[in-house]
Amino acid sequence: MIITGLIVGLALGFVLQRGRFCVTGAFRDLTLTGNTRWFSALILLIAVHSIGLFLLNALGVISLEASPFPWLATIIGGLIFGFAIVLAGGCATGTYYRAGEGLVGSWFALIFYALTSAVMKLGPGASFTEGLRSITVESGTLQASTGLSPWVFVAILSAIAVWVTVRHNRKNTTPLATLPPLKTGLAHLLTEKRWNPFATAVVIGIIATIAWPLSAATGRNSGLGITTPSANLTGYLATGDASLVDWGVMLVIGILVGSFIAAKASGEFRIRVPDQATVVKSIVGGVGMGVGAAIAGGCTVGNAMVSTAQFEYQGWVATFFMIVGAGVAAKFTIKSGPRTGVAQPAESKVV
Amino acid sequence: MKQVLETNGLVCPFPLVEAKDAIGGMDNGDELVINFDCTQATEAIPQWAAENGYPVTHFDRTGDASWTITVQKA
Repeated sequence: MIITGLIVGLALGFVLQRGRFCVTGAFRDLTLTGNTRWFSALILLIAVHSIGLFLLNALGVISLEASPFPWLATIIGGLIFGFAIVLAGGCATGTYYRAGEGLVGSWFALIFYALTSAVMKLGPGASFTEGLRSITVESGTLQASTGLSPWVFVAILSAIAVWVTVRHNRKNTTPLATLPPLKTGLAHLLTEKRWNPFATAVVIGIIATIAWPLSAATGRNSGLGITTPSANLTGYLATGDASLVDWGVMLVIGILVGSFIAAKASGEFRIRVPDQATVVKSIVGGVGMGVGAAIAGGCTVGNAMVSTAQFEYQGWVATFFMIVGAGVAAKFTIKSGPRTGVAQPAESKVV
Repeated sequence: MKQVLETNGLVCPFPLVEAKDAIGGMDNGDELVINFDCTQATEAIPQWAAENGYPVTHFDRTGDASWTITVQKA
C-alpha cells in the first residue's frame, strides 16, 4: 500500500506550507542573527519524533536498526548540503513546498537536486558515494556507545525541548500582528490563521512518527526521507524501472501536491519568476543539495529530523555541519546594504 | 514620514534584511511600508517587529501571494 505515502506526503506538504517550516532559515538564523527560535522549534520536533519512534519500537510496531556511522561522508556531505540550501533558498522540504507555492527559483533548485541526487545514488557518482560512506566507525548511536537505555536520551532531549519552547513563547509579550481574517471556523484555522512554529513542529513530529510504520508496512523500514525518494523518482522517470517507485517516491509527490493545495486554498499560490542571479543561485544550490545529501546519507529531514530522533551520530554530526555550511554561505551571500546587480531607482521611496 | 520598501521578487531572508537596513536610518515615529511576496515573511516580519517593540500599523494582502505591512519605528 504505497498509496499511504501519498497521503502522508499530502498532509506534510500542507503543514509545511501553512507553518512556513523552514529548516534553512533555522540554521541560517543561528549564525546570521543569532536567533534560535526556528532551531528551537526543530529541537521540539525531534523530541516529539524521538518519543514516538522509541514508543513504537518498544511496542514492537517498528524495529529500529542500528547501523555504523560513516563519519567522513557525513561531515563532507553535511557541509556541502548546508552551504547549498542557503543558495537554493530552502532545504529539501523547503524547496518542495516553495515549488508548490509557485516559486520558479525553487523549481530549478528542485529539478537539479533530484537530478544530482540520482547521479550520486543511482548513476555514475554512486561508486564514489558508496566508497566515501564505507569509511565508518562501528557504533552508530549514542545508546550503543554508552550502553544506556535510549529513553535516557529521550528524556534529556525532551527536557531541553520543553525548556526552549517555554522560553521562546514567553519572550513575546506583544502579540504578533496578524492579517485581518476573511474566513471563519476550520477554513480560518487551516488556510488563513498564522501557525505557531512550535505547534507546527509538534504536528510534523507526529506525522513523521506515523510515517514510519506505514512505510515499513510496504517493506521500506524507515521514516520520512526526501533525497533517496527524489533520486528514485528521477531514476524511474529516466528508465521506466517501476521497482524504484516506493513509499518514499509517493511521499515526495504528495509533499509537492499538498503544498500546492495549501498555497492555493490560502491565496498564496502565484508563479513567481526570479531574477537572473537568483536562478543561477538556485541551480548551483540544487546541484549542491543533491550531491551533499547523497554523500551525507540524508538531508534536513532524513538526517536532521529522523536520524537525530534515533540518536544516531550521523544525524547530529550532519546537522552540526549543515549549520556550519549554512553559516559560511550566509556570510558570503547575505549582506545588508543596497542590493547588488539590480537597478533600483524606484525601489525605496519617501512619500 | 513614510518610506516604502518594494521587496517583491526577493526571497527570504532578503525582505527582512532590507527592512532592517531601511529602518536603521529612520527616526522614531517614522513608518516603513514593506511590500513583499515571500510567504515566509508573513511570519518573519511580524515576529521581528514584535521582538523589537515596533508597532505594526497596517498588515494586509494585496493580491495572491503578495502582502503589505507597515512597521513604525519606536
